[in-house]
Amino acid sequence: MTEPAVLLSNVTKIFPVPFQRRPVVALRDLDLEVAAGQIYGLLGPNGSGKSTTLKIILGLVTPTRGKAQVFGRDSDRVASHESVGYLPESPDFYKYLTGEETLRFYGKLCSLRGARLKNRVGELLALVGLTSAAGRRLSGYSKGMLQRIGLAQALIQEPALLILDEPTAGVDPAGTREIRDLILDLKGRGITVLLSSHLLGQVQEICDRVGILANGVLVREGSLSDLLGVENQTQIILENASPALINKIGDLAGGSRARLVKCGPPQTSLEGLFLEATQAPGGKGGSKPS
Amino acid sequence: MRVIVAILGVALFGAAKLPVEHAISETHRQLHFCAVDLNLDLREQTGQLGFIAALSGFRSLVADALFLQAHVAWERTEWARVLLLFRRITTLQPRALLFWDMAAWHMAWNASTAALNDRAQPRLALRIKAQREYFQLGKDFLERGIRNNPDRPQLYDALARLYRDKYGDHEHAAELYAKAALLPDAPGYEKRFAAYELALCPGRERDAYADLQALYKSSEKERFPTLLRRLKELEIKLEIPPDERIPD
Amino acid sequence: MNEGHHAFSFFRVAAITGATLRGLARLKTFYVLLLFALLLIGNSIFMAQMTFQQEFQVLKDIALGAMSVFSSLLAVLATARLLPQDIDDRTASTILAKPVSRFEYLAGKLLGALLLLAISLAAMSALFFLVLTVREQWVLRETVRQMSAAPPDQLSEALRLVRASALNPNLLAGIAIIYVKACLLASLTLFVSTFATTSIFTMIVMAFVYFIGHLQAVAREFWLQTHSAGWISQTFLGLVALFFPDLQLFTLTDDVVAGNAIPMTVLAQIVTLGLFYTGFYLLLAWSVFFRKEL
Repeated sequence: MTEPAVLLSNVTKIFPVPFQRRPVVALRDLDLEVAAGQIYGLLGPNGSGKSTTLKIILGLVTPTRGKAQVFGRDSDRVASHESVGYLPESPDFYKYLTGEETLRFYGKLCSLRGARLKNRVGELLALVGLTSAAGRRLSGYSKGMLQRIGLAQALIQEPALLILDEPTAGVDPAGTREIRDLILDLKGRGITVLLSSHLLGQVQEICDRVGILANGVLVREGSLSDLLGVENQTQIILENASPALINKIGDLAGGSRARLVKCGPPQTSLEGLFLEATQAPGGKGGSKPS
Repeated sequence: MRVIVAILGVALFGAAKLPVEHAISETHRQLHFCAVDLNLDLREQTGQLGFIAALSGFRSLVADALFLQAHVAWERTEWARVLLLFRRITTLQPRALLFWDMAAWHMAWNASTAALNDRAQPRLALRIKAQREYFQLGKDFLERGIRNNPDRPQLYDALARLYRDKYGDHEHAAELYAKAALLPDAPGYEKRFAAYELALCPGRERDAYADLQALYKSSEKERFPTLLRRLKELEIKLEIPPDERIPD
Repeated sequence: MNEGHHAFSFFRVAAITGATLRGLARLKTFYVLLLFALLLIGNSIFMAQMTFQQEFQVLKDIALGAMSVFSSLLAVLATARLLPQDIDDRTASTILAKPVSRFEYLAGKLLGALLLLAISLAAMSALFFLVLTVREQWVLRETVRQMSAAPPDQLSEALRLVRASALNPNLLAGIAIIYVKACLLASLTLFVSTFATTSIFTMIVMAFVYFIGHLQAVAREFWLQTHSAGWISQTFLGLVALFFPDLQLFTLTDDVVAGNAIPMTVLAQIVTLGLFYTGFYLLLAWSVFFRKEL
């Protein structure tokens, strides 16, 4: 069995606040596993601990307790970053560099050089559709272009795990569609994607599994199909069913003249589930740093 | 905990570097580098700007600014201001020979001449008194300059000229030229000038003759017209036998 | 995927150094300061007519003074904003999310600043030497013209005096010491910026450190030699002596201009001490930044 891309074991993060008696608990006993090769959506209201979780995985923040691993390596080890690409929310790069120079810079940080670096930069510029803007300084890039170059730098070293924090924030619908298609394409190549987003409709379209954080606790976690299924209900789809038949079915269970097309639990929406999970007692979002 | 460890680390490094800094400072002191003591005297002498300049390591810039002011004050013959400015300048830059030399020149030559020719003072005795006071001020500058720069011949040379030209004191002038001659980088003429002055001191003619003769014999390059003339005068005065005299 | 990860890579450090240098070279502050320094040095050629010793002295004072002021200012101003800017922009997060250690990141940032200082000082030195050479050649020609009737040895002595007053190897030693002092200040600024909340705070702290650093020698000597002061004074002096660098040791421009030769051993000691300080403050910065939450 391949090791998981991300494994968080009993992770707690407490931020001390100067001059206040009560510190802020950003994450509480978090257990999270992201299997290799899937798209995992990490959801939660503002201040739920999403960004803290991502930063712990990236080694940018140290957990107060617990362990975080990336493909079996401790996340605070620099070597674990070799297999990780990261796109932060609303990224800002060195504006005086051109698109190409930015990718070359990040490529060098991953010890890429020479022809290999040059080819990789060319590939990625083409992948994100920025070949024509490669020679322009980032100060002249639109938000969507910055997002795309950010995605490109995250992919520069061909990571096995891609972490995206709000990848479509502020991007127009066309750009959003392109990013969505790109993520699906990356999954097709075997790359694991961990993304954090507020845009539930987009997450529902592409994620295999989701985890919902509230007040630093993972309140729901599982595959979309499992999570979105409503218990104790059966959906029957009939073809050419008459109203009378529908009434009879209402009284009886079992066969009729109608063709049974599908039978299974009906689906609610991800948005409905999200609201139900986070507004339940103890699940109300607070002003926690993320 | 990490903060405590960091502070301890800095303190340990500080303890390790202390003797090194102390040793280098001592070396600087022996070489007369940075010879400005930061104390109240400095504050009084240099004023607030100068004191801050000394604190910040920008002494030279402030001293130069004051030097330019002194130049203007000289052109306006504001001698008190020239004196005050040069006191600050030399306090800020005690190792700059130029400033000591210029200060002495302004006092002992320029201000003293102005005092002697001061039409506002009708009494000659008072004008001469003022002139002498300026000579003294010039001498003070050079003596302080020599104390700060004991290994540089230029200020000895300047003081010797002051004794020679202003006090007519050839004995002191000879001593100072001789001291200058012994220092590294002393120009070749210091020995000659010491001998010239010695020749003008009553009772020291024989010593002067010996020095001039040694110079004459040391090299053809030393046989300047003045040296030859002085030797000839001393040969006559000391009744040197003809076979021991230098050729005409 | 790359082969095994190396804990330290000059290649990665060089990448960060290059990006930092490019960013700093675009600072308006840098150009304003550099222009001011160059104007100061260039205009010193038009000083009031004085004797050549006065003129060379003033020229050297202004040039070396401008270099010292400019490089000290630039060291603090440029370095103070390096880390806070990257952290605020989240650029630090994208860089440290790559296989780059925090030490490599800091080293790259500091080296970028040091490289900028080196280039600036080189530019100012080039202009300074050009101005000095032009004036020296003019004075030499005038001396030859005015002393055309003088004996050859007097003329050669006069020309030697002119040359000794103008260019001499001591100036290079002076410039080297100015650079080492700037390196120390840059490294110390980087350390302060790792725990400072804003760039302004860093600059204010460094202004205090600069002044106290020039007084450290007085505090140190008093603390080492005097035991009659009260315990509060002794403690205060001891803290200043231990925790602050002695910046007076790196302030020899006045002696350089005055023509005092700086022996090679002294130069080597000062440069070595300066480099030790620079390295130590970089390590201190790393010790704070190592676990800084981004």
